[in-house]
Amino acid sequence: MKNPIFDLENWKEIGATLARNKTRTFLTAFGIFWGTAMLSMLWGGASGLKGLLMRNFDGFATNMAAIFPNRTSISYRGFNKGMRWSITQTDIDNIRARVPHIEASSGIAAQSVTAAYATKSTSSSVSGVEADYFKIQVPLLYSGRLINENDIFASRKVVVIGKNLADELFGSEDPLGKFVSLNGIYFQVVGVAGQTAEANIGGNKIDDSFLMPLSTMRRAFNMGNEVGFMIFMVSQSHSPDELKPAIFRTIRSNHPIHPEDDNAIGMFNVAEMFEMVDNLFLGISLLAIFVGAGTLIAGIIGVGNIMWIIVKERTQEIGIRRAIGAKPRDIIVQILSEGMVLTAIAGTAGICFATLVLAAVDHITTDPVTGSAHFQLSFSHAMTIMIVFLVLGTAAGLIPAIKAMRIKPIEAMNDK
Amino acid sequence: MIITLKDVNKTYPGAVPLHVLKGINLDIERGELVSIMGASGSGKSTLLNILGILDTYDTGDYRLDGVLIKNLSENRAAELRNRMIGFVFQSFNLISYKNAVENVALPLFYQGVSRRKRNILAMEQLERMGLADRAHHLPGELSGGQKQRVAIARSLITKPSIILADEPTGALDSKTSKDVMQVFRQLNSDGMTIVIVTHDPNVGEATDRVIRIADGIIQPTTPTINV
Repeated sequence: MKNPIFDLENWKEIGATLARNKTRTFLTAFGIFWGTAMLSMLWGGASGLKGLLMRNFDGFATNMAAIFPNRTSISYRGFNKGMRWSITQTDIDNIRARVPHIEASSGIAAQSVTAAYATKSTSSSVSGVEADYFKIQVPLLYSGRLINENDIFASRKVVVIGKNLADELFGSEDPLGKFVSLNGIYFQVVGVAGQTAEANIGGNKIDDSFLMPLSTMRRAFNMGNEVGFMIFMVSQSHSPDELKPAIFRTIRSNHPIHPEDDNAIGMFNVAEMFEMVDNLFLGISLLAIFVGAGTLIAGIIGVGNIMWIIVKERTQEIGIRRAIGAKPRDIIVQILSEGMVLTAIAGTAGICFATLVLAAVDHITTDPVTGSAHFQLSFSHAMTIMIVFLVLGTAAGLIPAIKAMRIKPIEAMNDK
Repeated sequence: MIITLKDVNKTYPGAVPLHVLKGINLDIERGELVSIMGASGSGKSTLLNILGILDTYDTGDYRLDGVLIKNLSENRAAELRNRMIGFVFQSFNLISYKNAVENVALPLFYQGVSRRKRNILAMEQLERMGLADRAHHLPGELSGGQKQRVAIARSLITKPSIILADEPTGALDSKTSKDVMQVFRQLNSDGMTIVIVTHDPNVGEATDRVIRIADGIIQPTTPTINV
């Protein structure tokens, strides 16, 4: 038996019938083209949107949270409500000693300063951090080094300068090893850093502020034992919320805060934010699949419809073919191949078009520092779309093809 | 005998079942040129469809070139139609978007013959019909007589056992009709068995034997001798 796939004549037959009614073939092909293109663009677009949004959090640990002080809301031990209090280094040491599952933590103190180098000066801010800070937010290190344990231990007067500040104060000069004045105190620049994320801890991006050892900061700016707030990252399979009671208890033990005063201590849970973003994108993905499936079904119905019309219109021709010796299989293969060829060509074109659009969007949104947002359709996704369309497109032709076989050749021939 | 029908009956089912063929007995010898004549509703078209394996019958036996045509699968029927029977229809039944040579070659496509060989054979048949210069014309660009000759060329290409023609001159004027009948006579003189269904007495006269059918029964007649 001849194999219809490898018979050139079969393909010529398909080409001839598809070319016979060019407008209709084009419109059907466009339906499929649009279906695959929409589905591909939605799929790739969802991935790109997620990339764009995640870019805001690039470098941040997803399981981090921040603890900060608020005014008390219940009077306690003779202190009026509305009292201000500060987190101290003692609190942080206690938390580290008593609360398990904290993988990394850092006290942070921030202060606005006037920074000066040579003839240039600018107002900026400085954050005192501990070495583990860089585990929680991974910065972009342009040159030099970050703050390390030895800096903290020895309270060295060193700073990491933000990329933008370095450009502003030093211009083309290399800031490493130079001394910069912050509120009149000189610190040696050991590194130039920045960040890729849009989000920030403590009000300023790394690019626009100085980082120095927390111990140095407390001494240099007369902060005593006080620390602005604390950030921490929990170990895997634990959540910041889980540790909240233990942390709050530890802090209360050291401050006159009423045991039921939940407002006095604030906790900002970034893990929750990430969960929200994840849920949002699950929603967007589902929407994309839903809308895409809609366009897909519309395209398939289009194929089925056109196949139905083609078969109806060609009833007489099919009758003639059968009279002169076409077997039912020959006719069904021919009709199905037409649907398949149409779907394959239009579908490939649709995916190619979507890829071009996605490539253009990807190009536009690509950031020199953070790179591509991944407006991309993976090969396996493209193949999935293609196979689904091919199978459904072929199946859509099956019903009209079988229907055509039900008519006797002689009746089909007399069909006008 | 190339065609043998023994007591063939055919009833179309329905609210009022229609008994169209009431025990047909018919023998056609190899090399005969016969016509089947009858009024409309006489059962002649049904008989032709059964002869052409386009329709089934209820009881009796039909042998075509020694093959019993009974309870065939659609695949087997298609194969036998393809190899044993050449059809010529009143409305030509050419495929409108295929040119003459492609139309003639189509039966060979379903035999799996290569395109090259098919087209050579199709050109031979067209030359035989005197249509070599029209080989690449679409049916729409041909006259009625030319179309019918293309159809005849198509019926001949598989070298069938018989040619079945259903009112082959029904759509043609009298002069063209004569030309087409001349073609049939020529083919017959080359040894082809031809069965023509018609209600046109002129066509009947142009054949060697007229089989008259009325009300589903073959009428006894003496063979007409053509000079």
